[in-house]
Amino acid sequence: MSPDAGDSGGPAAGTASVPLHRRPLVPSARYPLRTLTSPTYLIAIGVIAFFAWWASGSPTSFFALSLVYASIFITLALAWDFSSGLTGYLNFGLPFFFGLGAFTAGYLSWHGNRQVPELLLVSFGMGLLAGLLFSLPTLRLRGPYFTLLSLLLPLIGADFIIAFWTQLHLPTEGFEFLPFLASTPEAELVLLSVVNGVLLTAFLLLRDSHFGLVLRGIRDDEDALGSEGIWTFPYKVAAFTLASGVVAFSGATYALVYTYGGVDTFDFIFILFPVLIVILGGIGELAGAVLAGYLVILLYQYLSPILSTLTFIILSVIAILLVLFLPGGLLKPIRSFVRFMRTGAPA
Amino acid sequence: MSLLEVAGVSRSFGGNRAVDDVSFDMGVNTLAIVGPNGAGKTTLLNLIAGVLHPQKGSIHFGGRNVTHLAPWRIARLGMVKTYQVVRPFRTLTVEENLALFAKLRKHVRIEPILATTGLTEVRRHYAGALPFGLQKRLELAKGLAADPDLLLLDEPIGGLSREEAEGLLASLAALKSSGVRMIVVEHRLSEILPIVDRVVALDRGRLIFDGTREEFFRDPAVRTAYLGRSDAAG
Repeated sequence: MSPDAGDSGGPAAGTASVPLHRRPLVPSARYPLRTLTSPTYLIAIGVIAFFAWWASGSPTSFFALSLVYASIFITLALAWDFSSGLTGYLNFGLPFFFGLGAFTAGYLSWHGNRQVPELLLVSFGMGLLAGLLFSLPTLRLRGPYFTLLSLLLPLIGADFIIAFWTQLHLPTEGFEFLPFLASTPEAELVLLSVVNGVLLTAFLLLRDSHFGLVLRGIRDDEDALGSEGIWTFPYKVAAFTLASGVVAFSGATYALVYTYGGVDTFDFIFILFPVLIVILGGIGELAGAVLAGYLVILLYQYLSPILSTLTFIILSVIAILLVLFLPGGLLKPIRSFVRFMRTGAPA
Repeated sequence: MSLLEVAGVSRSFGGNRAVDDVSFDMGVNTLAIVGPNGAGKTTLLNLIAGVLHPQKGSIHFGGRNVTHLAPWRIARLGMVKTYQVVRPFRTLTVEENLALFAKLRKHVRIEPILATTGLTEVRRHYAGALPFGLQKRLELAKGLAADPDLLLLDEPIGGLSREEAEGLLASLAALKSSGVRMIVVEHRLSEILPIVDRVVALDRGRLIFDGTREEFFRDPAVRTAYLGRSDAAG
């Protein structure tokens, strides 16, 4: 029998959303070159560079600040997509690690008068440590149980701080007057753009490595991995620990951009937006999160003064429509277009 | 010492004794576990692979007690199970499905596995987009990529057309010739028995036969289990 996809009847049931082929831009390229020459990666890097360049000759500082805000959420979305998007383990505890990073930066600046690079590095380390401590017991659980525990984390973090704030003799209003991340919003944007470019590259390389294959295998069928000799637990712990470190780093950048770290950094907005961004970008796509991140946050920034309380409703309606009509995320039509230009074949 | 020794293994679900005091060893290269529907074949295979654990009895693989080990530990020791209902990693390509396991074993190359299982031409296709017949082949290929000393195949030709089954059986025969040891659970006796050396038959959880395939068809207990009476023709 010729092993042709068409000779054994139609596609298996329930496979309509799965594309038939993987067609790299450079067919002969192997990992890691294949990853670094993929159209979606090149487009995402191009968009990051374009916004950093555009804001440097800034039309308005509100625009630059909006892009800074978008960049912070893109970092969060990349971290969430890398851990939860690839493995299918939904972690809604992001605000805990975000708040932890903001508080670490705030406390060290308030107490020890440390410099910005040191604040970022220690926050990243604290995120790694907290992520490891959270992952070790909870990633033994499956599906909804893990998700439920992760949901409780930000509440525990915020309640802990509120309960013990005065006993710890900390400033009542949170940590204020932190040093700026950089001297201007434009410089902050360039810095955060570099961070996001590096993160996107690193996460994509990891996704396409054997480590990433296992993470994606976990999402598809974790038990089948075990039956053939792969112990998935250390892979999950490594992914969630790394993501937690990145989220805490992002929390520190947020505190330094706004020169303030308070209890509101544990807010659920720091999980709502990243999840929305990842869904729009395409779960597990990573590069899609970059494009969707700019779109969602810029829409939010420019619509919220006009629409006031209706902003979230309108954003939700847009999200529902996009999920209904673009279930694979924003990258799906881009991929179809690239395929059409190269082969002439419709999607 | 036999590669696999199953001794007095039992497993119940509520009041249903799915596997009842079953013992056999693997003294040959290819063994079939057969029996009518509900005989306990898949449960027994799951007990051997560590997917389920027995309530009584023991299982030794390569001289080591694996009775209560996790599936991934048993697979690392060299005993790898494939599934009756295909479980490909749908969002990975065919070669990524194999690379997942092959990368853990430095000497395993995926090209010969693709060739043996007839998947070379679809190596860049996403597993979730393959037709059922090729997904069945992929299930076998995944098992081989884990470099097993003993491959446990749960109904490898179940659900396939006669033509598709012939292709996959040819692959199994080639594997047998190359020295791969297998335990095959299968309903379709006439198709699977020509490639096995020995047959173990179950009925309602109990072992009713352990012998060669020639003896299998003459055995009164087997005829009763399959045909309802021991003197029936055929």
